[in-house]
Amino acid sequence: MRFHKHLRTGAAALAVVASLAGVTACGAGSRSGAQDATAVACDYTMPTADTTVNVLAYNSSAIDPFTNTMVKSCTREKVTLKHDPIDFGGQVTKTTATLAGGSGSYDILETYGFVVPGFAAKGNIEPLDDYVAKYADKYKLNALSKQMRSSMSYDGKLYGLPMQAQMYVLAYRKDVFDSLGLKPPTTFAEMIDAAKAIQAKGEIKYPIALPLNATADITTNYQAAMNSNGKDFLDSSGKPQFASDESRKALEGMKSLLPYMDPQVTTFDQPKVQQQMFNGTAAMAIMFSGRMNDLTLPANTKLADKFAFAAPPAVEGSAPYLYSRLSVDGWSIPKNTKLDKDLLFQMMAASVSEDASKASVPAAYPAREGMVSDDSSKYAAAANATIGKSMPTPGSPSAAPVTNAIRPIVVQVITGQLDIEAGMQQMQSIAEKTIAGS
Amino acid sequence: MRRREFALLMGPSLLVMLGLLVVPLVRTIQWSFQKVEYGSPGDFIGLSNYSQALSDPRLGRAVLFTLLLTVIVTATILVLGYLIATGMNGLGKLRPYILGAMLVAYVLPNIVGAVSFSWLFDQNFGGAVNYVIQALTGQNILWFTETWPNRIMVMAHTVWHLLPFSMLMILAGLQGVPKELREAAIIDGASGRKTHFYVIIPTIRGILGFVCLITIMDVLRTFDNLIPLSPQADAIGNESIMLYVFDTAFRDGSAQLGLGSAINVLAILLILVCLFPFIRGLLKEAKAKA
Amino acid sequence: MIADTIKAPAGSVIKPAPRARRRSAASRISAVLLILTAVVMLAPFIWTALSVTKPTDVAFANPPILTGYTPTLKAFQDLWETTYFAQYLINTLVVAVLSTIVALVLGIPAAYALSRFPGYVSAILLLLALVFRSLPRFSVVLPMYEISKSLGIYDTTFALAAALVAINQPFSIWLLRNFFAEIPKELDEAAMIDGCTRWGTLRRVMIPLMRPGIFTAGIFVFLFAFQEYLTALVLTDTSSKTVPVFITTQLGQTLPMLQQAGAAAMLLTLPVIAISFVAQKYLVAGLSDGSVKG
Repeated sequence: MRFHKHLRTGAAALAVVASLAGVTACGAGSRSGAQDATAVACDYTMPTADTTVNVLAYNSSAIDPFTNTMVKSCTREKVTLKHDPIDFGGQVTKTTATLAGGSGSYDILETYGFVVPGFAAKGNIEPLDDYVAKYADKYKLNALSKQMRSSMSYDGKLYGLPMQAQMYVLAYRKDVFDSLGLKPPTTFAEMIDAAKAIQAKGEIKYPIALPLNATADITTNYQAAMNSNGKDFLDSSGKPQFASDESRKALEGMKSLLPYMDPQVTTFDQPKVQQQMFNGTAAMAIMFSGRMNDLTLPANTKLADKFAFAAPPAVEGSAPYLYSRLSVDGWSIPKNTKLDKDLLFQMMAASVSEDASKASVPAAYPAREGMVSDDSSKYAAAANATIGKSMPTPGSPSAAPVTNAIRPIVVQVITGQLDIEAGMQQMQSIAEKTIAGS
Repeated sequence: MRRREFALLMGPSLLVMLGLLVVPLVRTIQWSFQKVEYGSPGDFIGLSNYSQALSDPRLGRAVLFTLLLTVIVTATILVLGYLIATGMNGLGKLRPYILGAMLVAYVLPNIVGAVSFSWLFDQNFGGAVNYVIQALTGQNILWFTETWPNRIMVMAHTVWHLLPFSMLMILAGLQGVPKELREAAIIDGASGRKTHFYVIIPTIRGILGFVCLITIMDVLRTFDNLIPLSPQADAIGNESIMLYVFDTAFRDGSAQLGLGSAINVLAILLILVCLFPFIRGLLKEAKAKA
Repeated sequence: MIADTIKAPAGSVIKPAPRARRRSAASRISAVLLILTAVVMLAPFIWTALSVTKPTDVAFANPPILTGYTPTLKAFQDLWETTYFAQYLINTLVVAVLSTIVALVLGIPAAYALSRFPGYVSAILLLLALVFRSLPRFSVVLPMYEISKSLGIYDTTFALAAALVAINQPFSIWLLRNFFAEIPKELDEAAMIDGCTRWGTLRRVMIPLMRPGIFTAGIFVFLFAFQEYLTALVLTDTSSKTVPVFITTQLGQTLPMLQQAGAAAMLLTLPVIAISFVAQKYLVAGLSDGSVKG
């Protein structure tokens, strides 16, 4: 029977594929936790049973060194650390899912200052102060920056062990700027002037690249623009500030850049902004510092040696701060993990130890004091110049839900479907409703 | 067949469907009347999820877009599917190769195909289509931020993904049209077009109906492909109902399960309305047999 | 009308048109058009294949670079070595194979019963299957997430396979029922006179006759499971992640990882393409006459 024969052929092909996957699987995953990651001391007490520790952390060249060091250094004998690659959006979704209910999939979470207060207020993550006190000497935890510890704290308690800070950095094409006699801009107005000059030269149509993707990106940028003039989404008493003058200036400032950016900018996340720089379709970009190291790698682009870095501009000349957000990344322990929290804390501490932090430079800006000098990397001076001029913004549990709620309006204002004034009023009332509801 | 035999043969399958489809469905209906989060029991809040869903213009936009997509894609697929299947039916030795090549679009997971598809239109990833269009017309089309270009891209992708299945079904149907019937029509002096309209299409009416039904069901559920193809779907009015549910009840840490469930229930009602003609046909048929 | 869809007169296994027949100009044009269509249909696949075999620094260059680079398989190597791709692939295969087998084991008797039990009950059950097939995925998957968590089977291949069996059951029953409907009832009667039980008739007479139909249904259910994104996204996490879910978690990544995601898409697709080339002949034949002549 012919049919039979073919059925057998098909089944055999499938079997070959499956077994091929099975046999060669031995080589698979062999470099997870990157073979070239730094090994540091991670001497926890070995548990009696086989233990798998699931680590949730998004991939970026700044986070990876810490994750990889943790996985590599703490996996031994009965303990296996497991980290699956995931993008930032995936991490946000997974974090909510794993924290809900009595059991979760993950034992160590990557968190950042913006979300820590919300999780802490709900009691979803573990306070770490006792562990910090216990292991301060062993892992030299006192050298972790005070400012960064406070941005991972809520209500006086530490909920995330800071590993690094990220701030906005301006990356620009030095060759293009030099040929036109331009200097890195210090205000939005100067940035527009530079963009006009570059456009006039004719090679680059849309010189400015910002991540204004209609997800977390666009609200973070709006917040940075507001921060430049010294206001945050919520004031210290938790009242929304969307109808403020600073809010209007922020939206006006962002809109003034639109003619010099790709018309599809509201669909660009940070990797796509990198892509514009890699491809030479933009001449300046503002992103978190953690994305900057990628620009300096020749493996990613032929233009790698043409990029230079500077502090981002301020929205206007009189503004007290730069167009920047200071975001602190760190590790947290979910309340619902079934594993020994002491063990988990030591793994986190090992990954931010002195050796590990040192090894993360230049890709990251570690939370440990005195790790980054101006010549640590091509963008270190820019990062150091930004960090003191980013507005410090204490977190609030309502910040995340309010930000999610106003996002569609920000998108409509930036894309011009809604005028600024109406948008501000709508955001204000949405924010008030969100705060009242939660 | 005896009743007991019927129950024994049908039972396991029915049990699985009841246990794994009906039970969850009941839970969704329950949730739609509650304020609820994952992992905690909800509080009954009556119809307020429904009133919230219905008062949000976003739902209206999503319904409109989903229906528009369904109508255009289904019509395109029926026409193209029929034309290609007819051509394919007359094809000789080439057929297996062309058929195999066409099936690729169907066997790729939808979301993976959509990513590949989006790279063709995204200049940051080369954008071959943009490049060609620019070279030919000098125009730069904003595929991701302008409503209609984005719609056309989404529709093109949906057709691309679903066409092979329909084409395969129609081809199978054409294979079953007796040769004598076709020859008789030609002898009677019918033109090529008349043969199609009066002989072939009526003969495979059943299959066309089936293809239509399956396509409508699949397009009404559109969700995966919009993630890469329409990153700001809601802002440009190209959000599907299911994407709206995903955004409300799962994505980005949003966990408005009650609201999401209410939209789900409304979507089920809409789907039933769309399928009503088919359901009525089936019922009539059953009555005639009984 | 719809219940009788995939039925057609027998005798239509695909045969290439006879060589002797003169090819008219029209049929030649239609062949060219079809080849063009096939190329267009393959375009996204080809483009991705090109992108993932370029060196990273020109992979997504704009304007695209088509010549002057040395093709490389580095993205595949990195994918294999730096991620648990092999595990994701095995998960995907296990789920697809498991759910296909169970779907057929449950679906064949059910479809047989529906094709032989006349009257209202069968019609209603078929109608119910139709409604189930049209349900929005989220309305069953989100509760499944909650239920699987409370049962402690969340994030297992078992839970995902079970969910997919249920979700795809309506389609398999529909398809199989139409195949069974093609087999004359007289065959059953003859077998039963010869002393077979109902079960024996199904096993010894019907299933062998139905082989092409079962194969066709199996292929579809396998493909559905192999491709499934939403259900896998919601029901899996670290220990049973499937390839489509993995690929989407890589979408917002930087260049090298994005290229790896493209490589993953290629690896996932190639075996399925191989299957579809082998199977397409039987899919058409199976769908077309469903029964005896295979």
